[in-house]
Amino acid sequence: MTFIPVLAAESGIVDALVESTRRTGETFGFNAWLFFSQIISFCIVAFLLQKFAYKPILTILEERRKRIADGLANADKIKQQLAESEQRYQEILTKANAEAQKMIDEARASAAVVKDRETQRAISEAEQILTKAREAAALEHTKMLGDLKREVGRLVIGTTAKVTGKVLTADDQKRLSEEAAREVAA
Amino acid sequence: MSNSVHYIHALTGFGRAIRLLALTFVLVLAGLGAVALAADEAHAGEAGHGAHAEHKHHGLSPDAPRIQVGPFSVTNSMIVTWIVAIGVIGFAQYATRSIKDVPDGAQNFWEWLVESLHNFLESIIGPDLVKKTFWFFATLFIFILFTNWAGLIPGVGTIGWGIPNAQGGLDHISRPLFRGVNADLNMTLAMAVIFFVCWVVWALQANGPGGFVMHIFGPKGKTEGFMKVMMIAVFIVVGFLEIVSIMFRPVSLSFRLYGNVFAGESMLESMAALVPSLGWLIPVPFYFMELLVGIVQALVFMLLTAVFTLLICQHEEGRH
Repeated sequence: MTFIPVLAAESGIVDALVESTRRTGETFGFNAWLFFSQIISFCIVAFLLQKFAYKPILTILEERRKRIADGLANADKIKQQLAESEQRYQEILTKANAEAQKMIDEARASAAVVKDRETQRAISEAEQILTKAREAAALEHTKMLGDLKREVGRLVIGTTAKVTGKVLTADDQKRLSEEAAREVAA
Repeated sequence: MSNSVHYIHALTGFGRAIRLLALTFVLVLAGLGAVALAADEAHAGEAGHGAHAEHKHHGLSPDAPRIQVGPFSVTNSMIVTWIVAIGVIGFAQYATRSIKDVPDGAQNFWEWLVESLHNFLESIIGPDLVKKTFWFFATLFIFILFTNWAGLIPGVGTIGWGIPNAQGGLDHISRPLFRGVNADLNMTLAMAVIFFVCWVVWALQANGPGGFVMHIFGPKGKTEGFMKVMMIAVFIVVGFLEIVSIMFRPVSLSFRLYGNVFAGESMLESMAALVPSLGWLIPVPFYFMELLVGIVQALVFMLLTAVFTLLICQHEEGRH
Protein backbone atom coordinates (compact mmCIF):
# COMPACT_ATOMS: atom_id res chain seq x y z
CA MET A 1 0.00 0.00 0.00
CA THR A 2 2.90 2.26 0.75
CA PHE A 3 4.56 1.97 -2.65
CA ILE A 4 1.72 3.72 -4.49
CA PRO A 5 2.78 7.16 -3.20
CA VAL A 6 6.41 6.22 -3.93
CA LEU A 7 5.51 5.40 -7.54
CA ALA A 8 3.52 8.61 -7.73
CA ALA A 9 6.48 10.50 -6.39
CA GLU A 10 8.80 8.73 -8.87
CA SER A 11 6.39 9.50 -11.65
CA GLY A 12 6.54 13.12 -10.59
CA ILE A 13 10.35 13.05 -10.73
CA VAL A 14 10.29 11.46 -14.17
CA ASP A 15 7.80 14.05 -15.39
CA ALA A 16 9.97 16.80 -13.96
CA LEU A 17 13.04 15.33 -15.66
CA VAL A 18 11.24 15.03 -18.99
CA GLU A 19 9.94 18.58 -18.67
CA SER A 20 13.40 19.85 -17.73
CA THR A 21 14.95 18.05 -20.69
CA ARG A 22 12.29 19.43 -23.03
CA ARG A 23 12.84 22.97 -21.80
CA THR A 24 16.63 22.60 -22.05
CA GLY A 25 16.25 21.29 -25.59
CA GLU A 26 13.96 24.15 -26.51
CA THR A 27 16.37 26.67 -24.97
CA PHE A 28 19.24 25.40 -27.09
CA GLY A 29 17.17 25.05 -30.25
CA PHE A 30 16.67 21.28 -30.27
CA ASN A 31 14.12 20.10 -32.83
CA ALA A 32 13.40 16.40 -33.39
CA TRP A 33 12.86 16.68 -37.18
CA LEU A 34 15.98 18.77 -37.69
CA PHE A 35 17.89 16.39 -35.45
CA PHE A 36 16.86 13.37 -37.58
CA SER A 37 17.63 15.35 -40.75
CA GLN A 38 21.14 16.02 -39.46
CA ILE A 39 21.57 12.35 -38.56
CA ILE A 40 20.67 11.42 -42.14
CA SER A 41 22.94 14.17 -43.52
CA PHE A 42 25.89 12.98 -41.46
CA CYS A 43 25.29 9.33 -42.38
CA ILE A 44 25.20 10.24 -46.09
CA VAL A 45 28.42 12.27 -45.74
CA ALA A 46 30.12 9.43 -43.85
CA PHE A 47 28.98 6.87 -46.45
CA LEU A 48 30.10 8.99 -49.41
CA LEU A 49 33.42 9.87 -47.82
CA GLN A 50 34.06 6.21 -47.02
CA LYS A 51 33.19 5.18 -50.59
CA PHE A 52 34.92 7.95 -52.54
CA ALA A 53 37.50 9.43 -50.19
CA TYR A 54 38.91 6.86 -47.77
CA LYS A 55 38.58 3.56 -49.57
CA PRO A 56 40.59 4.47 -52.72
CA ILE A 57 43.29 6.17 -50.64
CA LEU A 58 43.50 3.40 -48.04
CA THR A 59 43.59 0.81 -50.84
CA ILE A 60 46.47 2.53 -52.61
CA LEU A 61 48.26 3.10 -49.30
CA GLU A 62 47.89 -0.60 -48.50
CA GLU A 63 49.09 -1.55 -51.99
CA ARG A 64 52.04 0.81 -51.63
CA ARG A 65 52.84 -0.58 -48.20
CA LYS A 66 52.69 -4.11 -49.59
CA ARG A 67 54.87 -3.13 -52.55
CA ILE A 68 57.45 -1.54 -50.24
CA ALA A 69 57.35 -4.59 -47.97
CA ASP A 70 57.76 -6.87 -51.01
CA GLY A 71 60.58 -4.66 -52.30
CA LEU A 72 62.37 -4.82 -48.97
CA ALA A 73 61.81 -8.57 -48.78
CA ASN A 74 63.19 -8.93 -52.33
CA ALA A 75 66.15 -6.72 -51.46
CA ASP A 76 66.83 -8.93 -48.44
CA LYS A 77 66.48 -12.03 -50.60
CA ILE A 78 68.82 -10.60 -53.23
CA LYS A 79 71.26 -9.61 -50.49
CA GLN A 80 71.13 -13.12 -49.09
CA GLN A 81 71.56 -14.63 -52.55
CA LEU A 82 74.48 -12.29 -53.18
CA ALA A 83 76.06 -13.34 -49.89
CA GLU A 84 75.52 -17.00 -50.79
CA SER A 85 76.99 -16.43 -54.27
CA GLU A 86 79.94 -14.64 -52.73
CA GLN A 87 80.44 -17.52 -50.33
CA ARG A 88 80.13 -20.04 -53.17
CA TYR A 89 82.56 -18.01 -55.28
CA GLN A 90 85.01 -17.90 -52.38
CA GLU A 91 84.62 -21.64 -51.88
CA ILE A 92 85.18 -22.30 -55.59
CA LEU A 93 88.14 -19.94 -55.60
CA THR A 94 89.63 -21.62 -52.55
CA LYS A 95 89.06 -25.04 -54.09
CA ALA A 96 90.56 -23.92 -57.40
CA ASN A 97 93.54 -22.45 -55.57
CA ALA A 98 94.01 -25.69 -53.67
CA GLU A 99 93.74 -27.75 -56.86
CA ALA A 100 96.11 -25.43 -58.71
CA GLN A 101 98.58 -25.64 -55.84
CA LYS A 102 98.25 -29.40 -55.86
CA MET A 103 98.83 -29.48 -59.61
CA ILE A 104 101.84 -27.21 -59.27
CA ASP A 105 103.23 -29.40 -56.51
CA GLU A 106 102.61 -32.50 -58.59
CA ALA A 107 104.21 -30.82 -61.62
CA ARG A 108 107.16 -29.81 -59.49
CA ALA A 109 107.46 -33.32 -58.13
CA SER A 110 107.20 -34.92 -61.58
CA ALA A 111 109.60 -32.33 -63.00
CA ALA A 112 112.06 -33.21 -60.26
CA VAL A 113 111.66 -36.89 -61.08
CA VAL A 114 112.11 -36.22 -64.79
CA LYS A 115 115.08 -34.03 -64.05
CA ASP A 116 116.71 -36.73 -61.94
CA ARG A 117 115.98 -39.39 -64.50
CA GLU A 118 117.28 -37.24 -67.35
CA THR A 119 120.33 -36.27 -65.34
CA GLN A 120 121.04 -39.90 -64.60
CA ARG A 121 120.50 -40.79 -68.21
CA ALA A 122 122.76 -37.94 -69.35
CA ILE A 123 125.42 -38.98 -66.86
CA SER A 124 125.14 -42.55 -68.01
CA GLU A 125 125.27 -41.55 -71.66
CA ALA A 126 128.22 -39.28 -70.98
CA GLU A 127 129.99 -42.12 -69.22
CA GLN A 128 129.22 -44.40 -72.13
CA ILE A 129 130.55 -41.78 -74.56
CA LEU A 130 133.65 -41.34 -72.42
CA THR A 131 134.17 -45.09 -72.24
CA LYS A 132 133.76 -45.44 -75.98
CA ALA A 133 136.06 -42.47 -76.53
CA ARG A 134 138.62 -44.02 -74.24
CA GLU A 135 138.29 -47.34 -75.99
CA ALA A 136 138.62 -45.64 -79.39
CA ALA A 137 141.60 -43.63 -78.17
CA ALA A 138 143.19 -46.79 -76.82
CA LEU A 139 142.61 -48.61 -80.09
CA GLU A 140 144.00 -45.68 -82.02
CA HIS A 141 146.94 -45.54 -79.67
CA THR A 142 147.56 -49.21 -80.10
CA LYS A 143 147.21 -48.91 -83.84
CA MET A 144 149.50 -45.89 -83.99
CA LEU A 145 151.96 -47.67 -81.74
CA GLY A 146 151.92 -50.65 -84.10
CA ASP A 147 152.39 -48.39 -87.07
CA LEU A 148 155.15 -46.55 -85.27
CA LYS A 149 156.90 -49.78 -84.38
CA ARG A 150 156.69 -50.98 -87.90
CA GLU A 151 157.92 -47.68 -89.28
CA VAL A 152 160.70 -47.42 -86.71
CA GLY A 153 161.67 -51.03 -87.46
CA ARG A 154 161.63 -50.28 -91.14
CA LEU A 155 163.80 -47.17 -90.61
CA VAL A 156 166.20 -49.02 -88.32
CA ILE A 157 166.59 -51.80 -90.88
CA GLY A 158 167.00 -49.31 -93.73
CA THR A 159 169.48 -47.21 -91.75
CA THR A 160 171.42 -50.24 -90.55
CA ALA A 161 171.63 -51.64 -94.06
CA LYS A 162 172.91 -48.31 -95.39
CA VAL A 163 175.33 -47.82 -92.54
CA THR A 164 176.78 -51.32 -92.65
CA GLY A 165 176.52 -51.64 -96.38
CA LYS A 166 175.45 -55.18 -96.24
CA VAL A 167 172.28 -56.94 -97.05
CA LEU A 168 170.49 -57.88 -93.92
CA THR A 169 168.91 -61.22 -93.65
CA ALA A 170 165.39 -61.89 -92.71
CA ASP A 171 166.47 -62.86 -89.21
CA ASP A 172 168.52 -59.66 -88.87
CA GLN A 173 165.62 -57.66 -90.03
CA LYS A 174 163.30 -59.47 -87.58
CA ARG A 175 165.66 -59.02 -84.68
CA LEU A 176 166.34 -55.32 -85.46
CA SER A 177 162.59 -54.69 -85.89
CA GLU A 178 161.82 -56.36 -82.53
CA GLU A 179 164.62 -54.41 -80.78
CA ALA A 180 163.32 -51.11 -82.23
CA ALA A 181 159.76 -52.03 -81.18
CA ARG A 182 160.94 -52.77 -77.61
CA GLU A 183 162.81 -49.47 -77.55
CA VAL A 184 159.71 -47.57 -78.77
CA ALA A 185 157.48 -49.37 -76.25
CA ALA A 186 159.85 -48.43 -73.49
CA MET B 1 61.91 -16.63 -23.60
CA SER B 2 58.14 -16.88 -23.97
CA ASN B 3 57.62 -15.59 -20.43
CA SER B 4 59.80 -12.59 -21.03
CA VAL B 5 57.87 -11.78 -24.23
CA HIS B 6 54.59 -11.95 -22.29
CA TYR B 7 56.11 -9.78 -19.63
CA ILE B 8 57.13 -7.17 -22.20
CA HIS B 9 53.66 -7.31 -23.76
CA ALA B 10 52.10 -6.85 -20.34
CA LEU B 11 54.37 -3.88 -19.64
CA THR B 12 53.58 -2.34 -23.04
CA GLY B 13 49.85 -2.86 -22.44
CA PHE B 14 50.10 -1.36 -18.98
CA GLY B 15 52.04 1.67 -20.26
CA ARG B 16 49.52 2.12 -23.04
CA ALA B 17 46.62 1.92 -20.60
CA ILE B 18 48.30 4.52 -18.37
CA ARG B 19 48.89 6.80 -21.36
CA LEU B 20 45.30 6.40 -22.47
CA LEU B 21 43.99 7.11 -18.99
CA ALA B 22 46.17 10.21 -18.78
CA LEU B 23 45.02 11.29 -22.24
CA THR B 24 41.38 10.73 -21.31
CA PHE B 25 41.85 12.65 -18.10
CA VAL B 26 43.44 15.60 -19.88
CA LEU B 27 40.79 15.57 -22.58
CA VAL B 28 37.96 15.39 -20.06
CA LEU B 29 39.52 18.25 -18.09
CA ALA B 30 39.99 20.24 -21.30
CA GLY B 31 36.44 19.45 -22.33
CA LEU B 32 35.03 20.38 -18.94
CA GLY B 33 37.03 23.59 -18.99
CA ALA B 34 35.82 24.34 -22.49
CA VAL B 35 32.21 23.61 -21.52
CA ALA B 36 32.52 25.83 -18.46
CA LEU B 37 34.10 28.57 -20.58
CA ALA B 38 31.49 28.15 -23.27
CA ALA B 39 28.71 28.17 -20.70
CA ASP B 40 30.15 31.35 -19.16
CA GLU B 41 30.50 32.96 -22.54
CA ALA B 42 27.06 31.78 -23.61
CA HIS B 43 25.72 33.13 -20.33
CA ALA B 44 27.59 36.36 -20.91
CA GLY B 45 26.25 36.31 -24.46
CA GLU B 46 22.74 35.87 -23.12
CA ALA B 47 23.32 38.60 -20.57
CA GLY B 48 24.69 40.71 -23.37
CA HIS B 49 21.69 39.63 -25.36
CA GLY B 50 19.43 41.21 -22.76
CA ALA B 51 21.55 44.30 -22.51
CA HIS B 52 21.85 44.56 -26.25
CA ALA B 53 18.13 44.09 -26.65
CA GLU B 54 17.78 47.52 -25.31
CA HIS B 55 20.28 48.69 -27.92
CA LYS B 56 18.44 46.69 -30.60
CA HIS B 57 21.27 44.09 -30.82
CA HIS B 58 20.10 40.52 -30.47
CA GLY B 59 23.30 38.38 -30.70
CA LEU B 60 23.36 34.85 -32.10
CA SER B 61 20.14 32.92 -31.56
CA PRO B 62 20.59 29.40 -30.12
CA ASP B 63 17.85 28.22 -32.44
CA ALA B 64 18.98 27.90 -36.06
CA PRO B 65 16.53 30.00 -38.10
CA ARG B 66 14.66 28.10 -40.83
CA ILE B 67 14.54 28.98 -44.46
CA GLN B 68 11.73 27.92 -46.75
CA VAL B 69 13.10 26.22 -49.89
CA GLY B 70 10.04 25.37 -51.97
CA PRO B 71 7.85 22.99 -49.97
CA PHE B 72 10.72 22.08 -47.63
CA SER B 73 11.83 23.92 -44.55
CA VAL B 74 15.56 23.73 -43.92
CA THR B 75 17.80 25.43 -41.40
CA ASN B 76 20.66 27.67 -42.39
CA SER B 77 23.09 25.29 -40.63
CA MET B 78 21.79 22.44 -42.81
CA ILE B 79 22.61 24.50 -45.90
CA VAL B 80 26.19 24.95 -44.69
CA THR B 81 26.30 21.24 -43.79
CA TRP B 82 25.46 20.30 -47.37
CA ILE B 83 27.80 22.90 -48.87
CA VAL B 84 30.71 21.65 -46.75
CA ALA B 85 29.78 18.00 -47.41
CA ILE B 86 29.59 18.62 -51.17
CA GLY B 87 32.89 20.54 -50.98
CA VAL B 88 34.70 17.79 -49.06
CA ILE B 89 33.28 14.95 -51.16
CA GLY B 90 33.94 16.90 -54.37
CA PHE B 91 37.54 17.57 -53.36
CA ALA B 92 38.02 13.93 -52.36
CA GLN B 93 36.61 12.82 -55.72
CA TYR B 94 38.85 15.30 -57.54
CA ALA B 95 41.88 14.14 -55.54
CA THR B 96 41.19 10.45 -56.23
CA ARG B 97 39.89 10.75 -59.83
CA SER B 98 43.07 9.25 -61.29
CA ILE B 99 45.23 7.81 -58.57
CA LYS B 100 48.92 7.80 -59.37
CA ASP B 101 51.66 5.72 -57.79
CA VAL B 102 53.66 8.89 -57.17
CA PRO B 103 51.08 11.33 -55.77
CA ASP B 104 51.06 15.05 -56.43
CA GLY B 105 48.78 18.06 -55.93
CA ALA B 106 45.34 17.29 -54.50
CA GLN B 107 46.02 13.55 -54.26
CA ASN B 108 49.15 14.27 -52.26
CA PHE B 109 47.24 16.49 -49.81
CA TRP B 110 44.34 14.05 -49.44
CA GLU B 111 46.70 11.10 -49.00
CA TRP B 112 48.61 13.05 -46.37
CA LEU B 113 45.39 13.89 -44.50
CA VAL B 114 43.95 10.36 -44.63
CA GLU B 115 47.26 8.63 -43.88
CA SER B 116 48.09 10.96 -41.00
CA LEU B 117 44.65 10.45 -39.48
CA HIS B 118 44.91 6.69 -39.98
CA ASN B 119 48.34 6.47 -38.38
CA PHE B 120 47.30 8.78 -35.54
CA LEU B 121 44.18 6.73 -34.78
CA GLU B 122 46.10 3.48 -35.17
CA SER B 123 48.60 4.62 -32.54
CA ILE B 124 45.74 5.27 -30.12
CA ILE B 125 43.18 2.52 -30.68
CA GLY B 126 45.34 -0.13 -32.35
CA PRO B 127 45.41 -1.61 -35.86
CA ASP B 128 42.44 -3.98 -35.47
CA LEU B 129 39.98 -1.41 -34.18
CA VAL B 130 41.10 1.27 -36.63
CA LYS B 131 40.21 -0.97 -39.58
CA LYS B 132 36.64 -1.18 -38.33
CA THR B 133 36.15 2.38 -37.13
CA PHE B 134 38.35 4.59 -39.29
CA TRP B 135 35.51 5.67 -41.59
CA PHE B 136 33.60 7.10 -38.64
CA PHE B 137 36.39 8.87 -36.76
CA ALA B 138 37.93 10.28 -39.95
CA THR B 139 34.55 11.60 -41.04
CA LEU B 140 34.00 13.13 -37.61
CA PHE B 141 37.34 14.92 -37.67
CA ILE B 142 37.22 16.09 -41.28
CA PHE B 143 33.58 17.11 -41.14
CA ILE B 144 33.83 18.97 -37.81
CA LEU B 145 37.08 20.67 -38.84
CA PHE B 146 35.80 21.93 -42.17
CA THR B 147 32.39 22.94 -40.85
CA ASN B 148 34.08 24.85 -38.01
CA TRP B 149 36.37 26.65 -40.45
CA ALA B 150 33.53 27.20 -42.92
CA GLY B 151 31.74 29.10 -40.16
CA LEU B 152 34.57 31.63 -40.19
CA ILE B 153 34.21 32.48 -43.88
CA PRO B 154 33.01 36.09 -44.21
CA GLY B 155 29.32 36.08 -45.05
CA VAL B 156 28.42 33.14 -42.81
CA GLY B 157 26.10 34.71 -40.22
CA THR B 158 26.30 38.18 -41.78
CA ILE B 159 24.27 37.70 -44.95
CA GLY B 160 20.54 37.24 -44.44
CA TRP B 161 17.36 38.86 -43.31
CA GLY B 162 16.69 41.26 -40.43
CA ILE B 163 14.45 44.04 -39.25
CA PRO B 164 15.53 47.37 -40.73
CA ASN B 165 16.11 50.33 -38.43
CA ALA B 166 14.62 53.80 -38.82
CA GLN B 167 17.20 54.68 -41.46
CA GLY B 168 16.43 51.54 -43.44
CA GLY B 169 19.76 49.86 -42.55
CA LEU B 170 20.28 46.49 -40.85
CA ASP B 171 21.91 46.56 -37.40
CA HIS B 172 21.48 42.87 -36.87
CA ILE B 173 20.78 39.84 -39.08
CA SER B 174 18.07 37.88 -37.29
CA ARG B 175 17.77 35.19 -39.99
CA PRO B 176 21.24 34.63 -41.51
CA LEU B 177 21.41 32.68 -44.76
CA PHE B 178 24.35 30.65 -43.49
CA ARG B 179 25.31 29.63 -39.99
CA GLY B 180 28.15 27.68 -38.38
CA VAL B 181 27.08 24.02 -38.54
CA ASN B 182 28.26 23.15 -35.05
CA ALA B 183 26.58 26.23 -33.60
CA ASP B 184 23.40 24.20 -34.10
CA LEU B 185 22.79 21.70 -31.29
CA ASN B 186 20.85 19.42 -33.65
CA MET B 187 24.01 18.71 -35.66
CA THR B 188 26.35 18.11 -32.70
CA LEU B 189 23.73 15.96 -30.97
CA ALA B 190 23.18 14.01 -34.19
CA MET B 191 26.91 13.21 -34.40
CA ALA B 192 27.03 12.28 -30.70
CA VAL B 193 23.99 10.00 -31.00
CA ILE B 194 25.39 8.31 -34.14
CA PHE B 195 28.60 7.72 -32.20
CA PHE B 196 26.60 6.29 -29.29
CA VAL B 197 24.84 3.82 -31.59
CA CYS B 198 28.12 2.85 -33.28
CA TRP B 199 29.77 2.54 -29.87
CA VAL B 200 27.10 0.08 -28.70
CA VAL B 201 27.41 -1.94 -31.91
CA TRP B 202 31.23 -2.08 -31.73
CA ALA B 203 31.11 -2.91 -28.01
CA LEU B 204 28.69 -5.79 -28.63
CA GLN B 205 30.78 -7.02 -31.57
CA ALA B 206 33.96 -6.95 -29.48
CA ASN B 207 32.59 -8.34 -26.21
CA GLY B 208 29.30 -10.07 -27.01
CA PRO B 209 26.21 -9.27 -24.91
CA GLY B 210 27.51 -11.13 -21.85
CA GLY B 211 30.99 -9.67 -22.14
CA PHE B 212 29.51 -6.19 -22.54
CA VAL B 213 27.58 -6.51 -19.28
CA MET B 214 30.60 -8.07 -17.55
CA HIS B 215 32.79 -5.26 -18.86
CA ILE B 216 30.59 -2.75 -17.08
CA PHE B 217 29.60 -4.64 -13.94
CA GLY B 218 32.30 -7.29 -13.64
CA PRO B 219 34.98 -6.96 -10.92
CA LYS B 220 38.43 -6.01 -12.17
CA GLY B 221 41.61 -7.51 -10.75
CA LYS B 222 42.18 -10.82 -8.98
CA THR B 223 40.73 -11.16 -5.51
CA GLU B 224 39.83 -14.14 -3.34
CA GLY B 225 37.36 -14.95 -0.58
CA PHE B 226 35.57 -12.15 1.20
CA MET B 227 37.39 -9.48 -0.80
CA LYS B 228 36.02 -11.00 -3.99
CA VAL B 229 32.44 -10.69 -2.68
CA MET B 230 33.14 -7.10 -1.65
CA MET B 231 34.66 -6.28 -5.01
CA ILE B 232 31.66 -7.75 -6.85
CA ALA B 233 29.33 -5.53 -4.80
CA VAL B 234 31.54 -2.48 -5.34
CA PHE B 235 31.81 -3.04 -9.07
CA ILE B 236 28.05 -3.50 -9.45
CA VAL B 237 27.62 -0.03 -7.91
CA VAL B 238 30.48 1.27 -10.09
CA GLY B 239 28.74 -0.30 -13.09
CA PHE B 240 25.61 1.77 -12.48
CA LEU B 241 27.76 4.90 -12.23
CA GLU B 242 29.46 3.82 -15.46
CA ILE B 243 26.06 3.49 -17.14
CA VAL B 244 25.14 7.01 -16.03
CA SER B 245 28.50 8.22 -17.36
CA ILE B 246 27.94 6.40 -20.67
CA MET B 247 24.40 7.79 -21.01
CA PHE B 248 25.71 11.31 -20.49
CA ARG B 249 28.47 10.99 -23.09
CA PRO B 250 26.31 12.09 -26.04
CA VAL B 251 25.19 15.10 -23.99
CA SER B 252 28.70 16.11 -22.96
CA LEU B 253 30.11 15.52 -26.44
CA SER B 254 27.40 17.50 -28.21
CA PHE B 255 27.23 20.36 -25.72
CA ARG B 256 31.02 20.72 -25.59
CA LEU B 257 31.28 21.20 -29.35
CA TYR B 258 28.10 23.24 -29.60
CA GLY B 259 29.14 25.46 -26.67
CA ASN B 260 32.59 26.16 -28.05
CA VAL B 261 31.47 26.97 -31.58
CA PHE B 262 28.41 28.92 -30.47
CA ALA B 263 30.49 30.89 -27.97
CA GLY B 264 33.12 31.54 -30.64
CA GLU B 265 30.58 32.88 -33.11
CA SER B 266 28.90 34.99 -30.43
CA MET B 267 32.29 36.35 -29.44
CA LEU B 268 33.18 37.24 -33.04
CA GLU B 269 29.84 38.99 -33.44
CA SER B 270 30.26 40.84 -30.14
CA MET B 271 33.80 41.89 -31.09
CA ALA B 272 32.58 43.15 -34.44
CA ALA B 273 29.85 45.18 -32.72
CA LEU B 274 32.07 46.45 -29.89
CA VAL B 275 33.37 49.49 -31.76
CA PRO B 276 31.27 49.84 -34.96
CA SER B 277 33.92 51.85 -36.80
CA LEU B 278 36.58 49.19 -36.02
CA GLY B 279 34.28 46.23 -36.63
CA TRP B 280 36.58 45.07 -39.44
CA LEU B 281 39.71 45.01 -37.24
CA ILE B 282 38.88 43.96 -33.69
CA PRO B 283 37.62 40.42 -34.53
CA VAL B 284 40.77 39.56 -36.57
CA PRO B 285 42.84 38.13 -33.64
CA PHE B 286 39.76 36.22 -32.51
CA TYR B 287 39.41 34.75 -35.99
CA PHE B 288 42.88 33.21 -35.59
CA MET B 289 41.87 31.88 -32.19
CA GLU B 290 38.71 30.41 -33.72
CA LEU B 291 40.83 28.68 -36.38
CA LEU B 292 42.68 27.02 -33.51
CA VAL B 293 39.47 26.26 -31.62
CA GLY B 294 38.07 24.70 -34.80
CA ILE B 295 40.90 22.19 -35.09
CA VAL B 296 41.16 21.57 -31.34
CA GLN B 297 37.43 20.85 -31.02
CA ALA B 298 37.50 18.52 -34.02
CA LEU B 299 40.46 16.72 -32.44
CA VAL B 300 38.83 16.58 -29.00
CA PHE B 301 35.56 15.18 -30.36
CA MET B 302 37.39 12.55 -32.43
CA LEU B 303 39.85 11.61 -29.66
CA LEU B 304 37.19 11.30 -26.99
CA THR B 305 34.99 9.11 -29.15
CA ALA B 306 38.03 7.02 -30.15
CA VAL B 307 39.14 6.60 -26.54
CA PHE B 308 35.60 5.69 -25.41
CA THR B 309 35.52 3.05 -28.14
CA LEU B 310 38.93 1.72 -27.17
CA LEU B 311 38.01 1.51 -23.49
CA ILE B 312 35.00 -0.70 -24.20
CA CYS B 313 36.72 -2.86 -26.86
CA GLN B 314 40.13 -3.13 -25.17
CA HIS B 315 38.95 -5.63 -22.56
CA GLU B 316 38.22 -8.28 -25.16
CA GLU B 317 41.57 -7.73 -26.89
CA GLY B 318 43.39 -7.93 -23.56
CA ARG B 319 41.58 -11.16 -22.76
CA HIS B 320 42.79 -12.69 -26.02
